[in-house]
Amino acid sequence: MRLLALGVDHRSAPTGLREALAMEGERQREALGSLRGVAVGCECVILSTCNRVELYVAADEGVVLPEVEELGRWLAEFHGVDAGVLAGHLVAHHDEAVVGHLFRVAASLESLVLGEGQILGQVRDAYRVAVECGACGPIWHGVFQRALRVGKLVREQTGLGAGRLSVASVAVELARDVFDRFDDKTVLVIGVGKMGELALRHLKALGPGRVLVTNRGFERAMESAERHGGEAVPFERLDEALGEADLVVSTTASDEPVVGWERYSRLQRTVRRGRLALILDLAVPRDFDPRVGDLDQVLLYNVDDLRGQVERNARQRRSQVDPAMELVEREVAAAIVELRHQRQAGVLLRQLGDYGDAIAERELERFLAACPDLTEAQRRAAERLVHRLKNQFLHHPRQAVRTAAEGDGVRLGGQPHPLLAAVRHLFGLGEPEGRPGHPG
Amino acid sequence: MDRLTVVCFGGTYALALGSELLRFVPGLRGRWWGWLTAVLIGLGLLVQTAYLANRGREVGSLPVTTSFESLLAMGWVLAAIALYLVVRAEPGRPSVAGAAVLGLAVAVLTVAGLWAPRTSARADWSNVLTFWGAAHGIFLVLGAVSTCLGFVFGVMYLVQAGRLKRKEGVWRGVKLPSLEQSERWHRAAITVAFPFLTAGVLIGLGLVVATQRAGQAALRWTDPKVVSTVALWLVFAGLLHARYRADWRGRRVMLLTVVAFVFMAFAMGVVGLVLPTGHGGLAVLGGVREGSEAVVGPGEAAP
Repeated sequence: MRLLALGVDHRSAPTGLREALAMEGERQREALGSLRGVAVGCECVILSTCNRVELYVAADEGVVLPEVEELGRWLAEFHGVDAGVLAGHLVAHHDEAVVGHLFRVAASLESLVLGEGQILGQVRDAYRVAVECGACGPIWHGVFQRALRVGKLVREQTGLGAGRLSVASVAVELARDVFDRFDDKTVLVIGVGKMGELALRHLKALGPGRVLVTNRGFERAMESAERHGGEAVPFERLDEALGEADLVVSTTASDEPVVGWERYSRLQRTVRRGRLALILDLAVPRDFDPRVGDLDQVLLYNVDDLRGQVERNARQRRSQVDPAMELVEREVAAAIVELRHQRQAGVLLRQLGDYGDAIAERELERFLAACPDLTEAQRRAAERLVHRLKNQFLHHPRQAVRTAAEGDGVRLGGQPHPLLAAVRHLFGLGEPEGRPGHPG
Repeated sequence: MDRLTVVCFGGTYALALGSELLRFVPGLRGRWWGWLTAVLIGLGLLVQTAYLANRGREVGSLPVTTSFESLLAMGWVLAAIALYLVVRAEPGRPSVAGAAVLGLAVAVLTVAGLWAPRTSARADWSNVLTFWGAAHGIFLVLGAVSTCLGFVFGVMYLVQAGRLKRKEGVWRGVKLPSLEQSERWHRAAITVAFPFLTAGVLIGLGLVVATQRAGQAALRWTDPKVVSTVALWLVFAGLLHARYRADWRGRRVMLLTVVAFVFMAFAMGVVGLVLPTGHGGLAVLGGVREGSEAVVGPGEAAP
């Protein structure tokens, strides 16, 4: 059994090349079909995300695994990329290292953004597409299913996926910590510069009931409001808008604070009647007097607060790398033992089959030689009888070998299951050829 | 025997609480931990339901005739609510609200098992009085449960608001409900608690008058139980009023809820345990204490 993972990721290849190699939907299915033309008889899975494109190829006993160069050429040709250029960016993993690599990928330990949650879904999709295309077999079934389990375990048992890592997503998370629903909320964006536009895009994902946009230049406010399905409010009516807004994002380029403590305090007391408000002051210098944050029922965050949160989250994720790696390594060891058992069981099952066939053929030949007058129908009946006997005789040993292969490999420390040796001894089968301690 | 039975289901709830608290440790957040908590609570509920049903059958009425039974009923409702909160929690995450409510259930059952009187002064009551006594107990139990929930949601609001004000990150990935959600649950709990408490207190006062007129042992109007319960009702009326006032939103109302909860624990618990009262055990806590002198004798007018 041989395994190979070959491809490019965000560390080995520039964005342009990764974009050229990326494949989705029908293109991915087409690629799988084409790849199986090169890797004949192999099990294939293609994982394609914006940060990595990888081919996972496995060859069982008696099947030839294509060389790295051959697969690299195929990848280049399929995408119309220069093979020489691609070769310099390809990274290959072999045999047991493939399992470790895939598990780290699924656990998001190899991701550009450490601990990001999308990769697990992408690995699941890659596996699903391979199964649908009939490109997956027993080897990848076992490895990919375990990889998905590992990815989930790492997220559940460590804080690797906790906390957001961009200012915008931290702001959205913050809004969710304050408000439960947004369809009855009013969002106000003050200032429609680049930051304001970005904020509007992210806040729309929350599905607010109303979006108000205000700017010193009313024209720009109208344009922005139209683009994002909001309502433009003249800057002179800012107090009115502040009175209505539950979530305020301020991004003006004003040198002086736009909203002072007295102004907002009065609004909060009178118009807002003490309603809960979240203010994200993303402007530098700040648009809101910092004392506004001391008011009851008002939460004021500036851009440094949000960046501080991002940094804390990143630190928290980095601190979880070691526990996550420990978990992954434990699972890799278990998976490799399982693969070895699978391989040993596979070899024994083949040996058993060959042994049974040899006896059946030999005895059938003897019987037919002893009875030369049999009709064609009688000869066929004798053949069927011999093969049925063989299958029934071997049914239980085969079942036992399969069960042993699925057993607790870790407990046995990677040693072959004693049952395999017993079956081999009982049937007088020789030791299989192959390197010990190697999945293939 | 009673104590042993309470240890059975109270202990099961305590185990469930331990299991839920362990889920706050990042390495122990597997989904099955959540199910373990739910199964343990379910098991405790099953045993407690059987016990309460049996007790009800024995006394021929709903099991809220003594302080002990009332506390058991209160713990039962709290445990059922905790089970709902644990099951409804986001998969793979511990339920903060569930753990808090379950903690209260364990505390209530501990008080029931250790200190609550098992006797009642209603043995000589007529059927009508017995009926109203049970109603008084049920309303107060439900009011107390709602108050406990209001307290839990109020504390969760205060913790979340404090974290957001201090601009701290999420503590070890433990996510509290949003401020708005805590506030909404809190409002619902307080709104529900008030009518139950009102009904319970009014029926209680009616029972005092009725037992006095019937010439049976009755409470004095100055009995600590009567005074503290009426004062509790006034605190709740103030809380409900504040809850709907525009300038009394958020933190201040939550703090007032904590005060109201402490007041309830005092009025329904501490008074019955440390002050001499002639209350007959239909309240959540208290009950006739042997040798109590506070009972108005037959024919004696209450002040």
